[in-house]
Amino acid sequence: MGGLPILSLITFAPLVGALLVALLPSQRHRLIRYTALGVSLVTLALSLVMLASLLGATATSEFSFTEQVSWIGAFGITYHLGVDGLSAALVVLTTLLSAICMLASFGPITNRVKEYFVSFLILETGMIGVFLALDLFLFYIFWEIVLVPMYLIIGIWGGVDRIYATIKFVLYTLVGSLLMLVAILATAFSHQAATGSWQGAFDLLTLRGTIGDPTLQMLAFAAFALAFAIKVPMFPFHTWLPDAHVQAPTAGSVILAGVLLKLGGYGFIRFAIPLFPYGAHIFAPLMIVLSVIAIIYGALVAIVQTDLKKLIAYSSVSHMGFVTLGIFSFNQQGVDGAILQMINHGLITGGLFLLVGVGYERTHDREIAKMGGWAARAPMYAALFGFFLFASVGLPGLSGFPGEFLVLLGAFLANPAVAGASAFVMILAAVYLLWMYQRVFTGPLSSFLEGLGDHLTDITRVEILTLAPLALLIIAFGVAPTLLSSSFTASVTTLLGAAANWVAP
Amino acid sequence: MSGDLHTIAPLLLVIGGAIAVLISDMITPQRRYAPVLVALAALGATALLILQQGGSVVTALGGAYAAGPFVAYLGLLGVAIASITLLVSPDYLAARGYPTAEFAVILLFALSGAILVAASTDLVTLFIGLELMVIPGYLLAGYAKRDPLSTEGAVKYFLLGSFSSAILLFGIVVLWGSAGTASLAGIASAFTSGTATPGVAIALALITTGVAFKVAAVPFHYWTPDAYQGSPTPITGYLSVGPKVGAFVLAIKLFLIALAPLASMWIPIVVVLAAATMTLGNLVALTQTNVKRMLAYSSIAHTGYLMVGLVAAGSGQVAGIAGMLFYAVAYAFMNLGAFAVLTAIQGQPGATTQLSDLAGLGRRHPQLALLAAVFLLSLTGIPPTAGFFAKTYVILAAVQAGGAAGMLAIIAVLNAAVAAFYYLRVIVFLFMRDPVGPPVDVATPPLLRAGLFLAAAGTIALGLTPTPLIDAVVRAVAP
Repeated sequence: MGGLPILSLITFAPLVGALLVALLPSQRHRLIRYTALGVSLVTLALSLVMLASLLGATATSEFSFTEQVSWIGAFGITYHLGVDGLSAALVVLTTLLSAICMLASFGPITNRVKEYFVSFLILETGMIGVFLALDLFLFYIFWEIVLVPMYLIIGIWGGVDRIYATIKFVLYTLVGSLLMLVAILATAFSHQAATGSWQGAFDLLTLRGTIGDPTLQMLAFAAFALAFAIKVPMFPFHTWLPDAHVQAPTAGSVILAGVLLKLGGYGFIRFAIPLFPYGAHIFAPLMIVLSVIAIIYGALVAIVQTDLKKLIAYSSVSHMGFVTLGIFSFNQQGVDGAILQMINHGLITGGLFLLVGVGYERTHDREIAKMGGWAARAPMYAALFGFFLFASVGLPGLSGFPGEFLVLLGAFLANPAVAGASAFVMILAAVYLLWMYQRVFTGPLSSFLEGLGDHLTDITRVEILTLAPLALLIIAFGVAPTLLSSSFTASVTTLLGAAANWVAP
Repeated sequence: MSGDLHTIAPLLLVIGGAIAVLISDMITPQRRYAPVLVALAALGATALLILQQGGSVVTALGGAYAAGPFVAYLGLLGVAIASITLLVSPDYLAARGYPTAEFAVILLFALSGAILVAASTDLVTLFIGLELMVIPGYLLAGYAKRDPLSTEGAVKYFLLGSFSSAILLFGIVVLWGSAGTASLAGIASAFTSGTATPGVAIALALITTGVAFKVAAVPFHYWTPDAYQGSPTPITGYLSVGPKVGAFVLAIKLFLIALAPLASMWIPIVVVLAAATMTLGNLVALTQTNVKRMLAYSSIAHTGYLMVGLVAAGSGQVAGIAGMLFYAVAYAFMNLGAFAVLTAIQGQPGATTQLSDLAGLGRRHPQLALLAAVFLLSLTGIPPTAGFFAKTYVILAAVQAGGAAGMLAIIAVLNAAVAAFYYLRVIVFLFMRDPVGPPVDVATPPLLRAGLFLAAAGTIALGLTPTPLIDAVVRAVAP
């Protein structure tokens, strides 16, 4: 890599692109769209180069390509970026889904095109930054930066109740993150009080394993966990998610499900548990109970949904429950499974939201009851929908399976009863997804779809292009999950080392 | 003596500038911008002089006036506040037939009072500076003298302001009598060695009440919404920033210097006031549909955040004062900016500042709406803006202090989430709603644009690189 700051390039390429797009004349829609797509493809390419060289080289330290520059010297806050297998995988997921979202927004977004793509590119910078930051303060800033463009994307280009949904989304997230800010400051100050210097007070690598005060461990973990639990979202903090998903434009839903929810899971793995292992162990039983509730509750509620997007939103609650369940099992299988599940949920649910969007472009409706027999008019669409649907159900051979399997294995090792209860839900997943598929795609053509006449076209080539990379990865990671998991095993080992070393200080 | 003159030169320059404005207005009464330009030149010269003096610690006037990095910092902030106000106001005032020269003069006199407050080392100079700072505020609040709302607000402001000045003065006198000296440092040392007498408790109660009035802390805030809503919009911007920052300097002088040894007595009171101020200010702001009035209540909430810094500082954390000083600068830029946007949308006399007036602004005036969004996000405390670092600094100090201040930190962040609701609602109107009725008249004459630019530049620059200001703050509070 030489002296090239590859991580900064990846992080800020979208931001530079946003400035570039902002300077374009707002009437030139085509130019704006292709510029934004080009920027996101460049970012994707950069992230793939980074991933390739990360996997190609034998890592000499935990984090590679690190960059560290003093930023706010008075408090030892640094601009510190670094990447390991876990963050690399999530960064590539982000850049891939962002590029797909740019392409998928070409048709649906016709209003205030420039502002849309500027927001989306800023969002991409924020998300990448969260996955690469190794300084708590810098992490927090990226975490908050994500909020504003998402607020605009839902609020300006969303559905009828978009304003309610977007304000709910922001307020939920903000309450959690502001308490996390207090916890970050308290942690940094405890470091300053212990060492007499602000040097490294916000640095993840310096702080890890040094926080001895059990009260601080518990309170700070609780604050971090609240912020991340809202983002994941864990039961009972999930109520913003269905609203946000239903109102967001298609690409917004894809990014929300594909990346934003992962910020929460990543936060647990990268920050909350390594920094506060004692607090994590104290709260682990609660987190496991909440995870199991989310898994079961999400699935049960999904069964009765009448809106396609809402159904998938609740299925996300259920699937993300597996992520937190795996993380708090504190064993290799569980955490490996949780990370696999995060990435695969991003691919699969991202694809499902894209497909719902494809249908919505033609019907301007998502009411399940109005559909029926769609497969007859759009066989290709129905086939692709079925593919992603089976991946979501957890069909072996597709990538939804290994993650959930490993999580259940990990949960079984930790607590067989929990694993039993959760495994039962995999049947419910089959129920709500297959029943939905049956109602929408099979049987006689419904009068509503019939009435659309020639508008009800099959999926177009561009739309297939947005789905193809996801489908290929779903097959690849389904057949050979180690392709993916080998990149982050080392990170998981470090995490478990930190979590095991939790004896009350 | 000549050394004294050199030390107080910034103060003299501001007063001289005020007189120069009057003269220039007599020579060229027809020129709308002449007084403003003269005043801006005086402010520029003052800033250069302060920078040239370099903030070395020198006393003057028999020890009553102490120049130093603290005064330099606040002097420059005062110059910035006055400059932005001067840039934003003239076209608004002229469009409504109000003179600009008197306005500039009043503003400069207020600034001279603020500098005196910052530089004072004894109770007498402090009080004189305070009055010199707030009396121009009464005049400004009633500047739209043909507008009954403005007159009503000004009368309320004047009556309650005079009332609180009297209470404060009474407290100062009792304090003087109890300590046997008027020197702020002398009072502190008198209380460090001696015991607290009943007189001290009375003085403390009176001073706390007086200061709470001046900073507009709940439950002494009732004058604020009317005074702010009635005043001409750019003046409201000034009133919500200038006198408030000045009043906090007063609080620093009284509570953190003179009464520092009695911190255990006043901290519990200020903790309760701070919590009530933040919470009530935000809750009432939630229910407002007039943006100007909403910003008036939100400025009460910001008073509460600043008081968190006061509590932290009283608990012995220097970062508390540093946080307050940082907050003051960030607040000045973002709040003056927000009011400058409101000034711009009131291009026509009689234009209102309802939320619905902002609907669709993002489409018709994207640049103005973008600036408005920057100021609102900063007021909310979203990074990377000045407001984020300001809140973080104050909260960091409170977390360091621990105990009651730590609880205040949590109350403060929960309040920030409440505040996010009403600030973001304005953004909803700017970008997410379509206008109802005819579009509002937006006027952005060059001076207003310059003011908006300055405010936005400050808000964004402090968000991206807060380090220079943090260094300046640390120098300003270094003992």
